Amino acid sequence: MDWFDFILARYNYWIFILLMMIGLYVVFARGNLVKKIVGLNIFQTSVFIYYISIGKIFGGTAPIYMGDELDAAAHHGPDSGEGAGHGAEAAAHGATAHAGAEEMQSKIDNAAPGEETLAKETLHSKIDNSALDHGNDLKDALKTAPRPEEADSLHSLPDTGDKIANTLSHVDKTPPKAGLQFTPDGLTDAAGDAAHSAAVAAHGAVEAIVYTNPLPHVLILTAIVVGVATTAVGLALAVRIREAYGTIEEDELEAADDIAEFGHQPGAPAQQAAEGAA
Amino acid sequence: MSIVAQLPVLPIVMPIMAAPITLLLPRGRAPHLWACLFTWLTFAACIALFREVAATGPISYALGDWAPPIGIEYRIDLANALVLLLVSGIASVVFPFAYRSVQLEVDQRQTPLFYGALLICMTGLLGVTITGDAFNVFVFLEISSLSTYALIAMGARRDRRALTAAFNYLVMGTIGATFFVIGIGLLYQSTGTLNMADLAQQLIGQDNRMVQAGFAFILVGMGLKLAMFPMHLWLPNAYTYAPSAVTAFLAATATKVAVYVIIRFFFSVFNFDFAFIGAAFTYVLLPLGLAGMFVASFVAVFQEDVKRMLAYSSVAQIGYMLLGLSFATVEGLTASLVHIFNHALMKAALFMAVACVVLRSGSHSIHAFAGLSKRMPVTTWAFIISGLSLIGVPLTVGFISKWYLLNAAFAAGHWYAGFLIVASSLIALAYIGRVAEVMLLKEPADDGKFVLPKEEAPLSMLVPMWILVAANIYFGVRTDLTGDIATRAAEALMMMAGGAP
Amino acid sequence: MTGYAPSLSPVFLIDLALLTMLMLVAIAMLRSRHLFAVVMLSGIYSLLSAAFFVSLDAVDVAFTEAAVGAGISTVLMLGGMLLTARREKPKRPGRAPVALAAVIVVGAALFYATIDMPAFGDASAPANADVGQQYVERTASEIPMPNIVTAVLASYRGFDTMGETMVIFTAGVAVMLLLGAGSARGGRDVSDVENKDEEA
Repeated sequence: MDWFDFILARYNYWIFILLMMIGLYVVFARGNLVKKIVGLNIFQTSVFIYYISIGKIFGGTAPIYMGDELDAAAHHGPDSGEGAGHGAEAAAHGATAHAGAEEMQSKIDNAAPGEETLAKETLHSKIDNSALDHGNDLKDALKTAPRPEEADSLHSLPDTGDKIANTLSHVDKTPPKAGLQFTPDGLTDAAGDAAHSAAVAAHGAVEAIVYTNPLPHVLILTAIVVGVATTAVGLALAVRIREAYGTIEEDELEAADDIAEFGHQPGAPAQQAAEGAA
Repeated sequence: MSIVAQLPVLPIVMPIMAAPITLLLPRGRAPHLWACLFTWLTFAACIALFREVAATGPISYALGDWAPPIGIEYRIDLANALVLLLVSGIASVVFPFAYRSVQLEVDQRQTPLFYGALLICMTGLLGVTITGDAFNVFVFLEISSLSTYALIAMGARRDRRALTAAFNYLVMGTIGATFFVIGIGLLYQSTGTLNMADLAQQLIGQDNRMVQAGFAFILVGMGLKLAMFPMHLWLPNAYTYAPSAVTAFLAATATKVAVYVIIRFFFSVFNFDFAFIGAAFTYVLLPLGLAGMFVASFVAVFQEDVKRMLAYSSVAQIGYMLLGLSFATVEGLTASLVHIFNHALMKAALFMAVACVVLRSGSHSIHAFAGLSKRMPVTTWAFIISGLSLIGVPLTVGFISKWYLLNAAFAAGHWYAGFLIVASSLIALAYIGRVAEVMLLKEPADDGKFVLPKEEAPLSMLVPMWILVAANIYFGVRTDLTGDIATRAAEALMMMAGGAP
Repeated sequence: MTGYAPSLSPVFLIDLALLTMLMLVAIAMLRSRHLFAVVMLSGIYSLLSAAFFVSLDAVDVAFTEAAVGAGISTVLMLGGMLLTARREKPKRPGRAPVALAAVIVVGAALFYATIDMPAFGDASAPANADVGQQYVERTASEIPMPNIVTAVLASYRGFDTMGETMVIFTAGVAVMLLLGAGSARGGRDVSDVENKDEEA
């Protein structure tokens, strides 16, 4: 990893740090109470940026199901046999983006032995999300295609290993590391294991589209509300301070408090404070 | 699904549901009784929970039935069961006590809101203590903090400086909480989980810069919240100008809960395989604890205001707690836990005595305490006995604390720390002695500046105060109760941290 | 093995532009003493960060930030400003170096942490691989809801959300305590004898 990569991989975080420093500086160095609250806001918002940056996945999309994951879950349930069939379906659905329509039609024809190919193709939908645009047409086409006899047909998969490897060599980009880790070798191995493949194919249905990590979003939704609550209370306090002291400048507040503090025992400190206030 | 299975959530759910109803009640007695009722119910639930944990070991409760790393978990072991017991126990004594004091210091139109906020504050503190999820700590920390800011500002009816004190606390508290969130974010980025037990698992062998920085941010964030020595500047004003009952409650609970969070994170999330933990203990917590003990005690001696004096004393006492845990031994951690418990008992009693004086004389200046022993003997002796406990005189809880702490210091080989503990106790003798002398020997100055108390404080205040004074003595004599529990809790924590039990 | 191809993609450039604007707005807020301008800028700052959240696929957060950060927060601050002061007075010098030192220490600590951070956008980073990924996989079958964030918010971490509503409630109580009836506001509550003495 060279320096350019190193910087690119971190620029978001560094900007967050700078924003955080500005916010914190406003809080510490500025004397106006409203300005301090604005500073706290900058500070907190920068932390939101940090959290959201953590959850970002390149090539990912907003964590709202766009495929038929929900239908999948509702209709098929987790058992692997059904899941595998569905996985192939969804995989084909995803694959559209990459392959042309005619090419896909041929793939659908030998859907049973080529199930893994399709699952593999799925990964490309991560790079090209336009899969969805064509997805529905193909799904319809798929429904008419014969259902694969899952377990048995999957045993024939080792034969298709080379084919898969070939397909892979056509892939213009390196396989995304997120997903199923289909390297040519790994895939050939995996193809030998029918049960595993079935599971993976089913898995592919959900993995077809990469979703950005939802957890930081949830945390920050909470934090935003906490932030605005703090702002409200802080401003209410500032309003009260203004009414009680006639100012919201820290210097003048301190001077006023000093006078109150040393009011009982008049002396040098009280005079200085009075001068400071004047 | 009996009530017993739901026991872990009761201390949170009951007051959360009760707080909004408090606002709907008519002014006057009703909100107070309602709030008291729920502190007692909460206390009862905490006692049941504590007995359960003491008998059967740690309890895990998955909220919403989602298994821990996915959902939020409540995880109660002896350490936080003890703190839960403490917070709800103090609340169940301070809330009844508060009525007359609040009547004087807070506008009657605000009583429903006031007791609602007090209940929320307690809920927040309990929520911070009970949870096993790092981010959930932050949410409940903010619940308790937001209500605390408003409660402190309520002192503005007597002195407008309560407003600036509350504002400063708001700024410092928000920075502290946000630092804590940054720390959690760094840990999350390094491990991918927010559940504390899961974090501990994932962190094993992960000594990278994110984890180190995360540790530092959690330490500083919580340090701000608990008024660790150089970050304590918000505390004296906040405690001085807050309404007396609020001070009594906060001084006994808020900082203790923050210390507990520090203990929870340092011992059961991080572990001793991290070199930086040892360094932080030896080079940060130990010196800062010692410095806090001395500087804050020393400043306390020169205060003209008894509440402010006790506030500085609180900063010093936090130094003892940090000192104990910085030894990173079972003895040290035991001393810390024991002192968390004991200090809450003594500080609550002391601030309650001050509240009684404020009720009758209208001031918490030391001059208002002159000759008090003749006019308010019951309050005077409550103050003196709790004060002796603060100094660490035998047969009081303070002595037990000091005893454990001295043992831990010598066992850890920090013999100089042992001498410093004794020396700082002598400073405590100086400032408590000063107030005691004024109360017992001095004649009240008849210059009309201060109202002379005409009668003893009402029973509704004396009884709760003396319950705590009695607790100071009871737990000072029955040393086995807190000591055994704290030792067991400390052993469990040390096991988690990977140190020798 | 970075898995990190889209280095100078349009998304990256949008990110960079938004972050640069955020920086500029923040600096403008720091420098301006005109509180009205500062409050307006803080609204713009929130909107910019909302746009930035969209570019990071955090649409729910963006909605909330736009509504709460740019909307409610700005209105609150406008109100607060109108009730307090319009201009910030220059502060007595002397505090700035200390503040700067503290801020630099904090920044340095975080910069130190970034050295070991997984690359931005890395799908295999621990934060994205563990619990976060489980939510994506499990929501479909366990909570029939298309928006995963909503599912996590409402169910898996529903207790945080309950805490969040509690925070809003607490803020409401706090503001009512501070500004509501009987709050002894200066000049409004004549029965407040002590306060009057103080102000005299």
